[in-house]
Amino acid sequence: MAVASTKKKSAQENVLLKAYTHMLKLRVAQQELVKFYLDKKIFSMVHFYIGQEAVAVGVTDALTPNDKTMGNHRSHGHYLAKGGNFRALICELLGRSNGLAKGKGGSMHMIDKSVNFAGSTPLLGSVAPLAAGSAFEQKYNKRGTVTAAFYGDGASEEGVVYETYNLAGLYKLPVLFVIENNGLSINSRIKDRRAPGYDLKKIVEGYGLTYERANGNDYHDVHDKARALVEGIRANHKPAVLECMVYRHMAHSTPLTEEKYRNDDTLEKRQQHDPVKNLAGELIASGVPEKKLVALEEELRASMQSDIAFALKSPYPKKKELYTDMYSN
Amino acid sequence: MAERILKFSDAIKEATDQMLAEDKRVYVLGLGVPQGAGGTTNGLHEKYPGRVLDTPTSEASLTGLAVGSAIAGLRPIVHHDRVEFSLLAADQMFTQAAKWNYMFGGGNPVPITIRIVVGRQWGNGPQHSQALYSMFGAVRGLKVVIPSTPYMAKGLLIAAAREPNPVIILEPRWLYGTKQDVPTEMYEVPLSKAKVVRKGKDITVVAYGDGLVSSLEALDIIGSKASVELIDVVSINPLDIATIRKSVAKTGRLLCVDTTSEAFGIGSEVIAGVMKTQTLKVKPVSLACPNVPCPTSTSLTEFWYPTKVDIANKVLSMLKKGGVKQKLSFEELHLAPSLTLK
Repeated sequence: MAVASTKKKSAQENVLLKAYTHMLKLRVAQQELVKFYLDKKIFSMVHFYIGQEAVAVGVTDALTPNDKTMGNHRSHGHYLAKGGNFRALICELLGRSNGLAKGKGGSMHMIDKSVNFAGSTPLLGSVAPLAAGSAFEQKYNKRGTVTAAFYGDGASEEGVVYETYNLAGLYKLPVLFVIENNGLSINSRIKDRRAPGYDLKKIVEGYGLTYERANGNDYHDVHDKARALVEGIRANHKPAVLECMVYRHMAHSTPLTEEKYRNDDTLEKRQQHDPVKNLAGELIASGVPEKKLVALEEELRASMQSDIAFALKSPYPKKKELYTDMYSN
Repeated sequence: MAERILKFSDAIKEATDQMLAEDKRVYVLGLGVPQGAGGTTNGLHEKYPGRVLDTPTSEASLTGLAVGSAIAGLRPIVHHDRVEFSLLAADQMFTQAAKWNYMFGGGNPVPITIRIVVGRQWGNGPQHSQALYSMFGAVRGLKVVIPSTPYMAKGLLIAAAREPNPVIILEPRWLYGTKQDVPTEMYEVPLSKAKVVRKGKDITVVAYGDGLVSSLEALDIIGSKASVELIDVVSINPLDIATIRKSVAKTGRLLCVDTTSEAFGIGSEVIAGVMKTQTLKVKPVSLACPNVPCPTSTSLTEFWYPTKVDIANKVLSMLKKGGVKQKLSFEELHLAPSLTLK
């Protein structure tokens, strides 16, 4: 018994360490971008994901590699969590021809079909019907897979999202809508944007969909709820919404931490609920040596710095590329 | 081969039917599609279960779903019964479908066909009879065509449904009752090419959709008084200006017929495209609708759309020939034609 229990504990630790590694990868990737962004080396509008890592990783870990995810303007994390390639990402951000989209998309346009990251678009709520369409294809061709879409609390105020809840429910599509509620639409606070009594759970359930709310700062909570919802989607063909309450640590689209428009989400509170820091604490408490985590971070950082160095030496697209790819042949 | 006369709407239905049979990836969706969509889809719902779908009245969402499924490899045909409603899906058409392949550096085709019924219809006024061609023509990344005959309606739809890119078909409702000999077998009309409909040497008339049909009727009025080269624009995105330039190089005269307001119109675009490279014998003329919304009262719409007599007289005046006097009946002015085209 004791041996089995130890083995189980160790397996859980490995799963958690893997999740931590993914979250840390997202965190370090963002941190490494900050310097380049502030130095105006990156001429592509970047929306930083720091503070929301548990959502991307928690949800993606609840999916299989054959399931698809789609994202928004803030999708570096969503992409990397799906197994994305940081080198191709940074080449894209630096506008190089070997980037994910040959330099034509930039930060807001992550795509990599090799890992089933099906694309991201900064038109906010737009991703909801696109993901429903991806799920429609999965159902149409009886693939048994699902699509998850990531968007924010601002996006979820757009009409097309409400329309899509109904449409996805009507067509019984295998789709998971993940709302990352960071309480801010650019700089507008949620309390200034929602009618008194606004209740997303009631709204979503009113459309016949399943609703869950998770603490988006907590990997366990996100992952457990996402897994249960995905199982339900596969079994019952009933779409679901997972609203994850998170903090956006930085400003909307710069790596600064402006505080003036914030209300409850103070710097202190954000640091207190930091999902990466807290998961590290949990691992250390369970016996993982701190040294191991430090080494892990150093290793990730070195690897990414080498990817950035590679990207900086990569070629820019040629002028003729301006005129290619508008149409597919 | 014996002639087989088909209505415009039946030609669309036949193309849809044949595409559904040919390619399992093809499916059709839109409000009222199982009920027939103006006679363009009726009966297909029973024939192809699960592939001819009704939708909520949610234009943005249903179009976005279709775009998302096209990105994933299906080949949806979307139907919007009025252009005004399709604009609720502008983001999905103009910003998602149109940009997807380019913004991801190629290799990400969006094989979607969006059929939108546009334009003239008695009693529908400012908010139900717009055409908005130029808006669709201006968006990069789309292919946009306007069928003018049943033959074109079938061939363009088949070409669109086989195309890897987003194609918008702007179908003039005015023409739904026109008839023509249409081949039974499947055929394609090229998406990005204008078509010389009638050869001539004195003047080039450029038209599309319902204006093309009025122009054909104008040729009957003109008779032997002038040799007119009539060009069907067919594609407004991209615009095949080369075919038009070639004709104008021969005739030295250009008349454009628009069935919507002149401002930012197809005629303006054609004239600009021609004048950049050519010198004409007389100033080019744009015969278009006034730059005000289309009203409802027939006593006002009578002066809104250019008629076959207006077109004939403009051609004759550009050739310094005497015009014709012909009064059109109420039916000719205000009811959609049911004529059989050659």
